[in-house]
Formats: sequence, C-alpha cells, structure tokens
Amino acid sequence: MPEANGMILSKEEENDNEVRREDQDAINEFGRLNARLDEVKRQVDNLKKTLEKIDDASTELMMGDGDAVMLSLGGAMFEATEDEATEYCEAEVERQQKILDKLSEEEAGIVERQETLKKLLYGRFGKSINLEA
Amino acid sequence: MAEITSSIAAAEASNDNEAPVANISLQNIIDGTNERSIPKTKFIDDIDMFSGSFDPPASPELLIGAYSDLHSKFKQIEQQLTEKKAHREKSIPEIEKSIKLVRHLMQKKEEGDSAITRYNLADIVYAKAEVDCSQGIVNLWLGADVMLEYTYEEALELLTTKESKAKQDLEDVTEDLSFTRNQIITCEVNISRVYNWDVRRKRASASGSN
Repeated sequence: MPEANGMILSKEEENDNEVRREDQDAINEFGRLNARLDEVKRQVDNLKKTLEKIDDASTELMMGDGDAVMLSLGGAMFEATEDEATEYCEAEVERQQKILDKLSEEEAGIVERQETLKKLLYGRFGKSINLEA
Repeated sequence: MAEITSSIAAAEASNDNEAPVANISLQNIIDGTNERSIPKTKFIDDIDMFSGSFDPPASPELLIGAYSDLHSKFKQIEQQLTEKKAHREKSIPEIEKSIKLVRHLMQKKEEGDSAITRYNLADIVYAKAEVDCSQGIVNLWLGADVMLEYTYEEALELLTTKESKAKQDLEDVTEDLSFTRNQIITCEVNISRVYNWDVRRKRASASGSN
C-alpha cells in the first residue's frame, strides 16, 4: 500500500507526473487487491488444514475394523457405519476441494493483475511510489 | 451505517467551533456517499485549482489537516466493518453445521432408521440418545431463549434462507470494506500530493526570488 509520507527522494529521483483520476483508481485497485490477497491466502490455508483433517479421518476409517464410528455433526456425535462415514468424508473432500480450487484460481488472478498494475504505476511514477508489501 | 455519518457530522461541527478560521467543511472534501452512507473521498484533479476554490485559498496545512481528519474517520469505519465481517464469517459455518445435521436426520428418516447420537449434556459430558426420526421433527434454537419445533423440510428451508441472508450480508460488508479501503488510499495519496505540491511551490517561489 502506498504510504503517505514514506520517504524523501533525492531531486533526481523525483517524479513530477501528476496523479490522474485513472492513476488513483489503479492505486486503489492495487491496495484493494492486496487486502483481498491476504484474505484469500488465509482461507486457502484454513481449507488445506481442513482437508488434511478429513484425509486423516478417511485413513483412520480405512484402518478401522468395521465397527460403527461416531460422526461429529453440528455439535453432536452420530453413530454411523464405516461406509456412511467414508461416504461423508468423500463428499466433504469434494465440496471443500471445489472451494479451494476456486480460491487458488482467484489468488493467481490477483497476483497477475497486480503485476500489470505495478508495471503501469512504476512506469508512470518511478520511485515516487512504493508498491512492495 | 447512519450513525457513522452522523458521528462524522458531529465531529465536523465540533471542529468548526474549535477553529473557525480553518473552515474546510467535510462536504468540501467528500464526494457523495455509497449506498450505505459511507462518504466518498473527493479526488483532487488539480491541487492549485482546488486550493483556490476556497476563499481565502486553502493552505497546504489546512488541506492536509482536513484529509488527515477524514483519514482517521475512515480508519474507524474500517475497524467497525472488519469486526462486523469477522462476526459474519463466524456465523456462516454455524448455520452450515445445522444444515448438515438436518440433512442427516432427513436421510435417516428416508431410510426408516433412527439416529443414535451422543449429545452434549454438560460441558464435557456426552449422553447417548436415540432420535426417532420417523416423527420428522426437529427443534431449532432461534436465539433469545426461544426454541421452536419444525418439520425437517421447514427447518431446512429456514436455515437455507438464513444462510443465504448471512452470505449476502457478508458480501455487502466486504464490499463496504473495500470501498472504505479505497477511500483511505485516496486520502493518503491526496495528502502526499498536497505535500509534494507545497514543496514544489515553495521551491518555485524560492528560485523565483533569487
């Protein structure tokens, strides 16, 4: 995010290009994308952890000896057969994986868009602007 | 969001009382509001002209002061929205959990089975219970110490509505938050532009007098 009174540049490094409306919009978009990127990264991390947990559960189920297991649903445990539980895990993995894929795609899109904006803004303002995190 | 606008107006009024000379009204540096009454920072196209549009022309200190005030107000709004958002983000998984449970009960009913459960009796004590699913009745906790009986279908419908409402709310607050961030950045850029404008102006007048 561009810091208001970040640093003082030497005269040669100064850039007299005025900030136009479209530049302001580009700067805003960049900042907004930064915030969203953090959010997406956090969600991706969380999802990966959840998927790992479900994966662990599936492994446990495979090693189980066919007895009924307890499935935790909305604050209570329910008795379920191994098959039911496995089915449940598979459905959950599929559901969460879909969300994860979508988020990863968004993350890549943000990074790409930020690169374009960086080129644009550094091209116009040189060292007068700082877009590094 | 109405209270935010009114609190800004109140702060503005008190500022006016303290410094009658520095009479940049908030209205001069904002440019309308979004649909939920968050003000929009005015973008300065030409600083010279903008400063000259005040009578007497606004000094850089005055402009920077005005935008800093606005900036800190936006920071406040941002914080409020962040809290609101965190709250919404937490409530959605809760609803999803309930939906999962109702679906499970429905499935058991279709299979003509009963659900055997261990439910949370007290803090860390779980008790075993057999739920007769053939009745097709579930109680939903509505908050405010109220619990109502629903059929599975009704419960599912209610929960799904609640879920989509919560998701819509989350979307709104997310939108507001990025809108607010835009305003914060615009403020920051305006402040640094006014500062640079002042430096250049002073430099020009210094070299002019030499």
